[in-house]
Amino acid sequence: MADTYHRKLERSAIGLVIAIIAAASVGGIVEIAPLFTIDETVEQAPDMRVYTPLELAGRNIYVREGCYACHSQMIRTLRDEVERYGPFSLAVESQYDRPMLWGSKRTGPDLARVGGKYSDFWHVAHLTNPRDVVPESNMPAYRWLARTTLKTDDLPQHLAAQRALGVPYTEEMVENAARDAYGQATPDTDFAAGVTERYGDKTQVSAFDGVTTHVTEMDALVAYLQVLGRLTGAAFEGTAAPEEKPDPEG
Amino acid sequence: MDFDHQAVVAFSKSWGLFYLMALALGVLVYTFWPSNRKRFDRAKHSILDRDDRPWQK
Amino acid sequence: MIANLTSSERQQAFVLAVGVVLAGGAMTILGRSDTLGVHGAIVMLFAGVVLYLIMSSFYDPEPVEDRESSYYDDPIKAGIVLSMAWAVFGMFMGVWVAAQLAWPDLAFDAAWSSFGRLRPTHTTGVIFGFGGNALIATSFHVVQRTSRARLAGQVSPWFVLLGYNLFCVLAVSGYLLGVTQSKEYAEAEWYADLWLVIVWVTYFVLYLRTIARRKEPHIYVANWYFMAFILVVAILHIVNNLALPVSWGHAKSYTIWPGVQDAMVQWWYGHNAVAFFLTAGFLGMLYYYLPVRAQRPIFSYRLSILSFWGITFFYMWAGSHHLHYTALPHWVQTLGMTFSVMLLVPSWASAGNALLTLNGAWHRVRDDATLRFMMAAAVFYGLSTFEGSFMAIRPVNSLSHYTDWTVGHVHAGALGWVALITFGSLYTLVPALWKRERMYSAALIEVHFWLAIAGTLIYVFAMWNSGIIQGLMWRTYTEDGALAYSFVDSLVAMYPYYIARAFGGLLFLIGAIVGCYNIWMTVRAVPVAAARAADVPVTPVAVPGE
Repeated sequence: MADTYHRKLERSAIGLVIAIIAAASVGGIVEIAPLFTIDETVEQAPDMRVYTPLELAGRNIYVREGCYACHSQMIRTLRDEVERYGPFSLAVESQYDRPMLWGSKRTGPDLARVGGKYSDFWHVAHLTNPRDVVPESNMPAYRWLARTTLKTDDLPQHLAAQRALGVPYTEEMVENAARDAYGQATPDTDFAAGVTERYGDKTQVSAFDGVTTHVTEMDALVAYLQVLGRLTGAAFEGTAAPEEKPDPEG
Repeated sequence: MDFDHQAVVAFSKSWGLFYLMALALGVLVYTFWPSNRKRFDRAKHSILDRDDRPWQK
Repeated sequence: MIANLTSSERQQAFVLAVGVVLAGGAMTILGRSDTLGVHGAIVMLFAGVVLYLIMSSFYDPEPVEDRESSYYDDPIKAGIVLSMAWAVFGMFMGVWVAAQLAWPDLAFDAAWSSFGRLRPTHTTGVIFGFGGNALIATSFHVVQRTSRARLAGQVSPWFVLLGYNLFCVLAVSGYLLGVTQSKEYAEAEWYADLWLVIVWVTYFVLYLRTIARRKEPHIYVANWYFMAFILVVAILHIVNNLALPVSWGHAKSYTIWPGVQDAMVQWWYGHNAVAFFLTAGFLGMLYYYLPVRAQRPIFSYRLSILSFWGITFFYMWAGSHHLHYTALPHWVQTLGMTFSVMLLVPSWASAGNALLTLNGAWHRVRDDATLRFMMAAAVFYGLSTFEGSFMAIRPVNSLSHYTDWTVGHVHAGALGWVALITFGSLYTLVPALWKRERMYSAALIEVHFWLAIAGTLIYVFAMWNSGIIQGLMWRTYTEDGALAYSFVDSLVAMYPYYIARAFGGLLFLIGAIVGCYNIWMTVRAVPVAAARAADVPVTPVAVPGE
């Protein structure tokens, strides 16, 4: 019986195809399927906010430049990592991340909690030429970011796409995306107030690159770097965190 | 039945194992089925027949 | 290119090329204010060149002889040439990015040439450009020879090959423009991914139809590996790349998988791309070209079947070992670790099977550098699969992960296994396809072999050292319980190894260039006048009665 069965299986190539699918894909499904119900077990973070349009634009620059190739954003549950970088990363902290940027290689340090560790000025100087600030560094220089005006006119579409995928952006946030991106980098204008109104008063509004006349890609990237690890304080709850909970105001 | 996380995990862990064993058994039976020996032997040697044209019926 | 097509097939090819030109035009218009428009222009240019090639000999005489009585080798030849061209490109990019890590100013202050943009051009160039074209070419060759049947299509093999290369061009040019999903080994954006799905489904159907035409009753095991490669890569590619474009006029898209699910899907993809692209497909090469070159049947055919199912089954579970000690649930990490260790059994079965096939023919391995390429590939396969299983163990992974050790491991596999088996297979295939007695120069194959081995060893040893030093420095404590080294301290310790690594890569690149020259001279050589004995058509008597 088994013989004729296998003979048939092999004679038609389709049988082999089905057997390969069964052997290969079922394993993956069994392992991955439970992850779709994982939100039942993931820790909650009611205080977590979404990325502002400027931060999202900065994140897209981080993606575009392939920063993930050298910087992880995932602090593992190991003593030395927690002491070096801060509390280990929680699943909930990347719930709005598309794609996730956990990374696989640290040619440079982990960035999961880099937000607030350095000043805006330090970041701009470092991105302009890393070796001015860290002489031993082998990071590329990103001088052109400060020369390139940020494209903001299509940010409503970006937020709308994110919302379609389940990120809780409100209609108001989507409509005002371009203005908010401008406002977050120009503290003394009327646009700035709308940012804190919509994204909370802990949102950092600042002339990130020191120039308030127009918004550059440098503004966006620094805004993103400064919010890394600070969308929620969940990781600091109930862990033996060696650091103080970040205070965006300070 | 309610598909909560625990249930899915339990299903994966138990049936995943049974699936592994069933598949291993199936493959072993196929590989060592006595009447398959001849075909395997032929396949093994036939690639060494050098020919540069498709066979015609 | 189209000399072997009938006039109606030429029309088909024409329509296809015009269709692609139009699609490129639509992209150009929709994406006029975005990088999508640049890609539209590239698509039009690519398809335009193909169109020109079709038109330039459109009215040439049609083929007269019965095409079913010969194998379809033209697309294979083109695939080999493309594969070697991508090899030189991808490896050059690799040497460049490696040098940038040691001398960061080699980016010359331009956006397109910074490390983060060049790095995926290296990975895509070598994995998909070099490896993918070699897989397509050799799979077309193996499936025809083992089935004793011609490919089941005249236009579709060209569509698969050229379409695939269009995907590679879009991917690589996209990274330079800043178009990327930042998903490792799946960086290409949504429209390129969609295009690859079309190409890949055509590839699958073509392969299946060719196997269905076979005159041999049994499907030779090499085809199983190729088929698993085609099939599973399709599944992986589609699932991992599900994304929502910002609009039809944007190159940018957002993946549908958020956070932890994206991490799991990405590494399920990433690891299985290694499994089914870089392992299964190349094992298909190994199981055909190694016995053919050695003129000895495979040591154990049954073992090859068992290891096939073992690899197909186990690999799928192993991806989560990329996420040890992360926010991924603990049981998934443990499962991934267990299966990664179990994977060693079928992997070593394949490596052992290859080496035992050579047992008794060691004098030939000594004299024939082509066979030695394949022998060395099997050894590196065995070593790097052992290393992979070892590194998947959680405590080992806590040291190795995020360090250069991972990079060293990948290159032990990519240089030592994938590239060496490919070069060995191509050196076997090229003289046979172009009907030459042998390769142009055996001495140059020898030179290539030793450059490749030296390059691989220098590279891998440099990365082992740097990775382990890096991992240890990160976790070293002083006596008062403080971290002993800053991150920058660990980076400074890496520089000598980064220089050594770039040098190893350079040797490997030079070897590939020597290989290109050798292949080029072989192709240019005068064909052997007298038909080889092997050219005699098989008489009906030889057809098995079964």
